[in-house]
Amino acid sequence: MDMVLIPLFLAIALGVGLYARVIPQGNGGWWRFAAAAVALAVAARLAGHGWAAILLASAAEFLAVGMVWSGGTAESRAAARKYLTAVALAALCGWTALALIQLGAVRPAAPWDRLAVALLLVSVALKLGLVPVYFWLPAVARASSAMTTALIVAVVDVGAFCELLALRDAAPWIFVDFAPLWIGLAVVSLLGAALLALAQRELKPMLAFSSIDDMGYLLLGLVAGGADGMAGAWFGILGHAMGKIVLFGAVGAAEWHLGRAVTLDDRGLSTPLPVASAAFMLGALGFIGIPPTLGFIGHWRLYLAGAELGGPLLLAVLYASSAMALLCYVRAIHRVWLGPVEAPVAGRPLPRAAALVLLSFAIAPVLFGLAPNGLRPAAEPHPHVAELPIEPAGGVK
Amino acid sequence: MTFVTLPILLLLGGFVLQLLLARLLTPVGKGVLATAAVFASFLATLPLVPAGMTGIAMEAPLLPVWDGPFSLALRIDGLSVLFMLMGTGIGAAILLFSVRYMEHEEQGTTRFYAIMLVFIAGLLLLASAADMLGAYVAWEVIGLCSYSLVGFWYNQRAATDGARKVLVITHLAGYGFLIGLVLVYSRAGTLVWTDPAVATAFTSGVAALFIVAAMAKSVMFPLHTWIPEAMNAPTPVSALLHSACYVKAGVYLIARMYVIGDGQWQAALEVPLLAVGCVTILVGVIFAMAQTDLKRLLAFHTVSQLGYIVVGLALGTDLGLAAGLFYCLSHALFKGTLFMCAGAIQHATGTRDLRELGGLATAMPGTAKVWIIAAASIAGVPLTNGFVAKWLLFGAALDKGLLVVVLVGWIGSILTAFSFLKATVNAFYGVPSKAMLGRPVHEASPSMLAGMGSMAGLCLLFGLAPQLLMVPVVAPAVRSLGFDWAVQMSWLGILTDRGSIAMTVGGVVVLASAMLGLLVYRLAQAPASGLVSVYSGGEPLPAGDRPGAVDFAEMAEHAFHPVYSLDPDPAYLRIWRSLTRVAGAAQTAAGAVFENRPLLAIGLVAVAALAGVWLV
Repeated sequence: MDMVLIPLFLAIALGVGLYARVIPQGNGGWWRFAAAAVALAVAARLAGHGWAAILLASAAEFLAVGMVWSGGTAESRAAARKYLTAVALAALCGWTALALIQLGAVRPAAPWDRLAVALLLVSVALKLGLVPVYFWLPAVARASSAMTTALIVAVVDVGAFCELLALRDAAPWIFVDFAPLWIGLAVVSLLGAALLALAQRELKPMLAFSSIDDMGYLLLGLVAGGADGMAGAWFGILGHAMGKIVLFGAVGAAEWHLGRAVTLDDRGLSTPLPVASAAFMLGALGFIGIPPTLGFIGHWRLYLAGAELGGPLLLAVLYASSAMALLCYVRAIHRVWLGPVEAPVAGRPLPRAAALVLLSFAIAPVLFGLAPNGLRPAAEPHPHVAELPIEPAGGVK
Repeated sequence: MTFVTLPILLLLGGFVLQLLLARLLTPVGKGVLATAAVFASFLATLPLVPAGMTGIAMEAPLLPVWDGPFSLALRIDGLSVLFMLMGTGIGAAILLFSVRYMEHEEQGTTRFYAIMLVFIAGLLLLASAADMLGAYVAWEVIGLCSYSLVGFWYNQRAATDGARKVLVITHLAGYGFLIGLVLVYSRAGTLVWTDPAVATAFTSGVAALFIVAAMAKSVMFPLHTWIPEAMNAPTPVSALLHSACYVKAGVYLIARMYVIGDGQWQAALEVPLLAVGCVTILVGVIFAMAQTDLKRLLAFHTVSQLGYIVVGLALGTDLGLAAGLFYCLSHALFKGTLFMCAGAIQHATGTRDLRELGGLATAMPGTAKVWIIAAASIAGVPLTNGFVAKWLLFGAALDKGLLVVVLVGWIGSILTAFSFLKATVNAFYGVPSKAMLGRPVHEASPSMLAGMGSMAGLCLLFGLAPQLLMVPVVAPAVRSLGFDWAVQMSWLGILTDRGSIAMTVGGVVVLASAMLGLLVYRLAQAPASGLVSVYSGGEPLPAGDRPGAVDFAEMAEHAFHPVYSLDPDPAYLRIWRSLTRVAGAAQTAAGAVFENRPLLAIGLVAVAALAGVWLV
């Protein structure tokens, strides 16, 4: 049983539930779809790594489409259609590929092995919304409530990425023999999404592009493999999940306060919403990978993976992406949150329960950044993290 | 817990107490608690000095189980002790000053004191981290603390703009440190500073990356432009940022690099680093001369002074390192003092604009005395630690035959003296400006005077008897970097092992001149103070008139006009605008092709994937 992801998903479900009770995220349909999606994602983790887990995770993705659809507006239905297209095609490609390789147990003869890898590439790109097939994620972010996108990114996508981590262990040839393709996909997503995030004026799509950028990083760690690459991907995905709940939650709080979408034209929200502001800043710092957050624990290893995979050139790419992410988040923090209020709005205050959720998810990555070993599964070591050798206390590697 | 980790743990304990007692304590109580924590940390650092003198490096785990195979471990040598003493000593004086300075702050004092404590703890961790990863964590913690403190008044645009600039410039350059350590780890499999494998992996390219990171933290040209914008923070923050905890992080990193492979990187990077240091000396002081805001003036002098320190370190000799490190400590003392004086002036008058100040020596005699000592020190006036620092630095440069460096340092010193003459005259002497008339001006409180006075006193003490600092602190630091240096220093910074009669005579002449001047002043029965005509370099001004801050600034701008075009900010702004234009164009293109036509995007990926798997 996965002793890290299951508690994390349950904590996210609890947090989002509390948040959604005080800051409505959707109608009754939304609650049902959200609860079912998280339940299936948890069930997929409980099922281990096999067809049952794959099918449960796919079902969670389809239910997440329902969450978007339940918004009821023309825009949300259009976004749901886009998302459904991505999920359906990703599932089709993914299942076919996994059937060809028998969940990683065999490497089929040529040309079937190549076909399987091509299908997997398409499936992964669609599921995670990587560049250039990212079309559904910004659309969902624009059309849905903040926590809808947060759940998709932090639970559904994280579950999909963890399936990929399992596949990395089971069938390393998929990533090692075809590394240039995976690296290419990661680099295009890293740079493309970071650049597109800079172009956004609305905060929710900006966060969506930032997620895509982060997935590019994580994919690099996965392709690099080894103790450092896999640990980077593992800690990175956990930081990603917690960070996105905080960031989308803070933006959702600002929307609740303003009664409309938050854009870069808004000013001084830290005065009416200090807790949301602090949470957004902490979440952003974690996402950028600044110590002592969990984001740093993942990021520095992903840099290491980049150095091992592509030397100084890939490090330069990672630097460019990190720099753009920093500029993007700093601009959002300083234009939207900090500074004087230019046009005071008699908006609604942040409810205590929502503030508690935001603070909990903002502080958790800092605490786990100081004690990341707490995220190692106790009873049944996660295969990826188990690769990390632990030296006696006090030793410095 | 051992006595090695105690200084850091005391600060972190103070941080926890600040949070726990936030609702119980008044702003003054929080200040006293923070001061006590830092002072206790300073006292806990003192026992580390003897071990540093004997050349023993003390090791202890701070966080034994951290991240898989990595722990946060400490290794304290002479260099660590120097920076730890500086951080806690200066920090204690600044926090003592803060007690009264911050007492009227309506909100945020818990945040202020808590972050100040973590800030100092960050410097201690940086200085004592056994490996590069621990040092990088501390490096970024310091960066985050400065970001939060500079933006303390987060609903004021000027403060948040300053904070943004601090974060962006120092963090973007700080990736050099991260990328450097990643390259070292990927080659050596270890990040321990003293590991021989690290020495092999530490190429001059990696060293250059580290230096870029250090340049941004230590405000080297052209990465210095964040520092004048950071002046909208509370003055204790500016004092700590400039004197001990932030700009000195880069100095530490450059010095620490000497333990790697006996400083083999220095041969390749000596000339560029010296060039950067020299340009920084001149650019900083020339920009300072044009300022009329007291804190901005001090900020640009920080730039210039850091140039001196980096030049000392770049020389790569025992005396150069000693000069750089002694300068580092001296700068912490006089710059911290100057900032606190500026804060006391702002606290008393409500302004720090030199055009609106004047005649403060009457209302604030204590502050004026403290200011004059610190100003004399930064200008390199004999009997102060600033003189000793420059004396050593010039000696080290002359030893290497680098006359250009001496010339640059000398010009920089003259301009510094000129700039501080302007600031001193405009703030403390003459008649109060029209803006000041009717404003009740009060002397700084006793605790504020104690904070800045104690540091000014040390400026004089270490100017008269630098061996008190050199023997137990600076020399062990130099030796910990692999230089076998037996310091032989006498009063006023005269090096007795150099055998230079000229230096000895010079020192005696300086002392005799000062005594003679004092004697003449006494014998001549100094007249009562009053308004006199001022010789301004041309026609004497009529009695009662004097060259004001604006006159000085305009004169500097006229004389050094081409230098002011060396401001790199417009170039940074052009890069940012180009980037946002490219991003906008990318969004337009990607929106039309990929977002609005998903099937096209899917088709492209499918074709690329199929083609790719057959090509790989």
